[in-house]
Amino acid sequence: VDDLDTKPITELSLEELLASDPNAVEGLVSRLYSTFALTGPSGPGSSDIDSPDPGESAFLRAIINLQDFTADAMKNRWGDDGLDQLTTTSDWDRNNKFFKLFYDRAYYTIPQCNNFLQALDVADFPDEENIIAETRFLRALAYYNIIDVFGKGVLATEVNFGQTQPLPEASRIELFNYVESELLAIEPVIRTTSSYGRANTYVVDMLLAKLYINAEVYTGTPRWDDAATYVKKVINEGGYSLDSNFVRIFSSDNNSSPEIIFPLLAESLTSQSYGNTTYIVNGSLSSDTMPLAQFGATDGWTGHRASKGWYGLFGNSAEDLSASSDVRASLFWTTGHNFEMSDYREWTDGFPSIKFRNTASDGSGSPVAFSATDFPFYRLSDAYLMYAELAIRGAAGTSMSDALTYVNDVRTRSNADAIGTSDLTLDFILDERARELNLEGMRRSDLIRFNKFTGGSYIWPWKGGTASGSSISNDYKLFPIPATALQANPNLTQNPGY
Amino acid sequence: TATGTVTDKANAMPLPGVNVIIKGTTRGTVTDFDGKYSLEVSQGEVLVFSYVGYTTQEIVFNGQSPIDVTIVEDASQLDEVVLIGYGSVKKEDATGSVDVVSSKDFNQGSIVSTDQLLSGKAAGVRITTSGGSPDAAPNIRIRGGSSLNAQNSPLIVIDGVAIGNDNPAGVSNPLTLVNPNDIESFSILKDASATAIYGSRASNGVIIITTKKGTSGGPQYNFSTDYSISSIGDGLDMMNGAEFTRFIQEYHPSEVGNLGVAAGSVSTSETVTNTLNGRQIYNTNWRDAIIRTATTSNTNFSARANLFDKVPFRGSVGYTYAEGVVKNDDYERLTMSVKLTPKLLNDNLKIDVNAKSIFAFKNAIDSDGAIGEALSFDPTKPVYDNSESNRFGGYYLTLDNDGDAFSRITQSNPLARLEQRERPENVYRFLGNVEFDYTMPFLPELKAVVNFGLDASGSKIEERFSDNAFETYQFEGDNTDINTNYVFNPGLNYLENQRITNTTLDGYLQYTKLLNNKFIDKYDLQAGYSYQNFKNDGNQKRYQYNLVSGQREIAFNEANPNNRYYNVLNLQSFFARGNISILERYLFTASIRADGSSLFTEDNRWGYFPAAALAWQINEESFLADSKVINNMKLRLGWGETGQQDITGTVGGYYPSIPLFSIGDSNSQYFPNSSLYSAEPFNPNLTWEKTTTYNIGLDFDLFNNGLLSGSFDVYKRYTRDLLADAPVPPGQALTNSFVDNIGKTESEGFELNLNLTPINNDNLTVSLGGNLSYNQTEVTDLNGLTVINAGGTLRGTGAELFRHAVGEPATSAYIYKQVYDSQGNPIPNAFVDLNGDNEINDNDKYYAQTAPNWTYGFNLNVNYKNWDLSSSFRGQVGGNVYNFAQLNYGFTDSAAFSSQNNLTNVLNFYDGAANPVIENVNGNMQFSDYYLEDATFLRCDNIALGYRFNELIKDGSFRLYAAVTNPFLITDYSGEDPENFGGIDRNFYPRPTVYTLGVNIDF
Repeated sequence: VDDLDTKPITELSLEELLASDPNAVEGLVSRLYSTFALTGPSGPGSSDIDSPDPGESAFLRAIINLQDFTADAMKNRWGDDGLDQLTTTSDWDRNNKFFKLFYDRAYYTIPQCNNFLQALDVADFPDEENIIAETRFLRALAYYNIIDVFGKGVLATEVNFGQTQPLPEASRIELFNYVESELLAIEPVIRTTSSYGRANTYVVDMLLAKLYINAEVYTGTPRWDDAATYVKKVINEGGYSLDSNFVRIFSSDNNSSPEIIFPLLAESLTSQSYGNTTYIVNGSLSSDTMPLAQFGATDGWTGHRASKGWYGLFGNSAEDLSASSDVRASLFWTTGHNFEMSDYREWTDGFPSIKFRNTASDGSGSPVAFSATDFPFYRLSDAYLMYAELAIRGAAGTSMSDALTYVNDVRTRSNADAIGTSDLTLDFILDERARELNLEGMRRSDLIRFNKFTGGSYIWPWKGGTASGSSISNDYKLFPIPATALQANPNLTQNPGY
Repeated sequence: TATGTVTDKANAMPLPGVNVIIKGTTRGTVTDFDGKYSLEVSQGEVLVFSYVGYTTQEIVFNGQSPIDVTIVEDASQLDEVVLIGYGSVKKEDATGSVDVVSSKDFNQGSIVSTDQLLSGKAAGVRITTSGGSPDAAPNIRIRGGSSLNAQNSPLIVIDGVAIGNDNPAGVSNPLTLVNPNDIESFSILKDASATAIYGSRASNGVIIITTKKGTSGGPQYNFSTDYSISSIGDGLDMMNGAEFTRFIQEYHPSEVGNLGVAAGSVSTSETVTNTLNGRQIYNTNWRDAIIRTATTSNTNFSARANLFDKVPFRGSVGYTYAEGVVKNDDYERLTMSVKLTPKLLNDNLKIDVNAKSIFAFKNAIDSDGAIGEALSFDPTKPVYDNSESNRFGGYYLTLDNDGDAFSRITQSNPLARLEQRERPENVYRFLGNVEFDYTMPFLPELKAVVNFGLDASGSKIEERFSDNAFETYQFEGDNTDINTNYVFNPGLNYLENQRITNTTLDGYLQYTKLLNNKFIDKYDLQAGYSYQNFKNDGNQKRYQYNLVSGQREIAFNEANPNNRYYNVLNLQSFFARGNISILERYLFTASIRADGSSLFTEDNRWGYFPAAALAWQINEESFLADSKVINNMKLRLGWGETGQQDITGTVGGYYPSIPLFSIGDSNSQYFPNSSLYSAEPFNPNLTWEKTTTYNIGLDFDLFNNGLLSGSFDVYKRYTRDLLADAPVPPGQALTNSFVDNIGKTESEGFELNLNLTPINNDNLTVSLGGNLSYNQTEVTDLNGLTVINAGGTLRGTGAELFRHAVGEPATSAYIYKQVYDSQGNPIPNAFVDLNGDNEINDNDKYYAQTAPNWTYGFNLNVNYKNWDLSSSFRGQVGGNVYNFAQLNYGFTDSAAFSSQNNLTNVLNFYDGAANPVIENVNGNMQFSDYYLEDATFLRCDNIALGYRFNELIKDGSFRLYAAVTNPFLITDYSGEDPENFGGIDRNFYPRPTVYTLGVNIDF
């Protein structure tokens, strides 16, 4: 009868794991970070969460889908069961699998962190204080995404981990307060310098700054001053500097870029995912119109193109773009493509973005199936532009002159003309963020913060499901809670309008 | 004095041991070794010839000499003993729903795997092969299967050894592991009262396979051999070169320049059919390029003897060579079996020893890839290119130069896919058991039975590529010369070794008491224990390609260098059963089991499953005693619970209830040089899924000479605590969806078996058998959920067709109702607003079941003198199959869907195979019921004609036969084949028509 207690060999209990591998803790922490870039632990075809296609289930891919395709700059043409609705900002409904993938991925990372925090309680680890802080940061980052995208959820922590009764719903403010308190608690504890790819003080500061700069959206109360406090800390104490080569930030050698504050790692052989930068690079390429090898890719998925909502900020034609001195204007593939996107499903309508590539910044590197380019999740020029925005919004401790310096540092690094103080308006900042930061997973949040996402004051191609763009309801500031979540936890309620 | 020889009608062999008695006396004798007898007898006395399993013959002695008698195997008597798990009962005493299919009923023709003998022969048993490959998985469902994610296949027991559900690596069909020629019979246990005694793994029914036994008489030998030729029809109506050229000219004029190949660029002996703007147009039928006329042969030899006059023995060897109709799909098998059934200690100790060895050698081809490419490859391209510049060993592939940087493959050659790779999958398996059945000499009512079983296998899988194999074509990272920057990587690409060791032990005590002329005339009690352990241990060698050199290198994972896997499942049970017979006509059976499974935590480990049944032998009642019509009539009532725990194959793995960390693969690191350790999801609350079955059945045998017999069963089945993969409350488990005990399903149905023998005399026997069954299974509850996605990916990424929904059959397609114009053409993306809210969205979809409600089979057998003719047919009414080829190759844009300088063949738009109004399938078109077709069909499984030469061999017989398997299929379904287990007809491996010629020699 004892044989009924079967013992695995290749899978291990926590005790066995710690006993068998002295570096086990590295693998356990690596696991938590990887939830943002990889789809699963057993190759690119595996998935941590149940999803129709494993490759779709990565956090970064979900962020690009929900933050960039729904906004003015990027469109996708595949039409895969629900992607059209994102790309046209229309007909969102609770059954759309892309909402589920985002939601389920965030609520994968969170309990994984809770589970590990419980384990940390039981066993002793070297460097435990930092590891706990990093784990709490990663959990806070997942919650931040829930706050931003869905506006509510459940508050699952290491305290209630293991409870089978469905948790009560937590409001946006509750989650905001929780994330704020977590980040404030770990900020003084976590190390100030860390190995590449791991969180440190300034990564935490960056998330705090993001939380505060959007606080008005999340809670109704602006927190510009607090945002400025942490942005300044990043700028002044972090030791980061703008990369003189803009293209390097999005190339396979970006791990040596001084600008990146927090990357999501990728390697062609050892860290393969269809949902990290591979999704951005391959998705933006097509051998129909582009030489793949030039961008170091073996596959082009014929999917994403920018729209004039992005490249229109550099000029009104392909010729304008090539005439521009701005390096950032050159990062669109125009040959064989139309400036206007009269049909988002037509590959040649709209220019593909070639901002991200698998090659090194000098163009070297053989074509690979999986990208080795890290995703710059947080980087310094974002902090500079946040500072400028906060200065314009009148945050305490900021100055317009510093703001102008930072904006011009960002612009001149890319050979764009410097601007004057009079140019420094919120509208300009929003446009500059587009020129600088599009396809980096934050455009929708930016538009909402500037109150340009919903309504009809700002329209872009295919907004609201029409080629020229149309007004959409304010309900679209939040996504619907996925039907599966509502079914699995009856305490959850749907967002208005869905 | 009467003398003569008694022979067996079936093979004209003399029968030793036949009782010859003078009726009404105690005088008699038995036939000797040569079947001869001699007996003093007076005029007018009646000689009675009887032999177990044969019909008794009576002959009035009028002085004739010799009196040679031919006796006939009695089908009904052969059926008499029914295996029911841990013992057997006489058919007339059986209380559960049990079908017996024995050798006389088996399908004939080219039989490679054991399931083919049974297909269509038993009501309620649906066997759907996954395709026409020799090792295709059979997918057996008895009464539909009631689970969502747990195992739905029946338990298979071969000579007392319950086979594990985990197939050895390299084996798709576990039933290829027994030589079909060794099979004596199948017992199929369907209702709970019958299956309950097998408990933990019997919720989906049980198929008990018994192999042939030795003899108590003289040695007998059998040699049989057959040779078959397989071929397939034309398949889907794709375009030929000329049609495709016309199509591209008309629908994609801008792509005309991609038809064919540039003149002079290719060197091949294939005929250029046309030259167009400097392009040479070929006419390749890619399907023909990858298929062949396949041959199959089976050769078997068996010997039966009574060793030392004490040990009945049967031994057999068999060799099978089977080719699939897709090139290089080769399968070879060598089987050996030995069976010994001695009786020792004054027959008190019966021993049953079985040993079977199987060596299987398979070349596993990528049939899915090759069949898909053969459908889609541009027919204006040649198969071969022997020009010097060709890199791929003489096969034509479409290339794209990617801006003169690299020559990338855009369309790969399906024939090269088959020819340039070999993947030997070799399996050795041993299956054996020893059963001791000891009757206590001091208490003959009590016996003890102990059975040890071992099912062990070793598999080795390799994957190797030849020189210039396109699948190993890699680029050199530091070389920019397009003419030289590539390498090939011939040789080993993958290696896997696996060992499966399954051990079983069961033992029971049985006490049987006969009480003549009492109210209770007989009872027996039985109690026992069963132990099953399944261990699967293996390792893999994996490779990756170096990014710079393009060379293959080992993918090394420090934390698990051998890529080892190790899975153990342990099941233990205690069981008891009692049978009581009252007044020789009322039979009660009751049983109870306690089952433990290692998949569950200690608190949830044990399940308790009772069952009870009542049978009423109506014809034993006095009011029917004189009936000329009713020979046998029995009413059966059964009730029982069975348990289900097997989630290892689908969602739970082997350790679903305990917290564990797994080691990540070498290509899924995050921080450099550190393997991911992942906390695996688990559910400590998992426990048994339980099914309650109610069954009413009637067995009958009417009129004389077995004119009409059969059985009718009605059942209802409730499954609760379903083991299903379901969403978990967000944030409260280590993933978003995991197996849990949720929900309920309900099934109901009936089964009818009928056998009609209208003519049965010495020269001519005509018999007709048929079965019909109806089953409807519905999901009735999902613990608050209304729907769970159930897979079925179509075009694009992650679009799922199937759902489990409350109120619907499991795995129903969830689709839109297509709108058609006045000419009957579908209007793309126009769907019926089913809920009438003037909006077309997800809520307008409806459910359509994939599995059929009605299945049937029938057969006609005619014996005329030495001729025998048999035929069997099978089919289903209803059910739906998604015609994926119609979706994928049935829109006009698909020919140039991706314009990477390549074109894709399409269905023929000119003759109605596809409709040109569908230009693309963007939007929700793929969820249109336009693509979901009724899967009703009637298939002729086989027709066989044989002739027996009695005089050719002394004391033996020689039968020659010809058979055709799968000669025709009647259906309205327009895709490749409506008989489809998964519900989506995609790159289907065609089922061939097989012509067989064989001989069978007994001597």
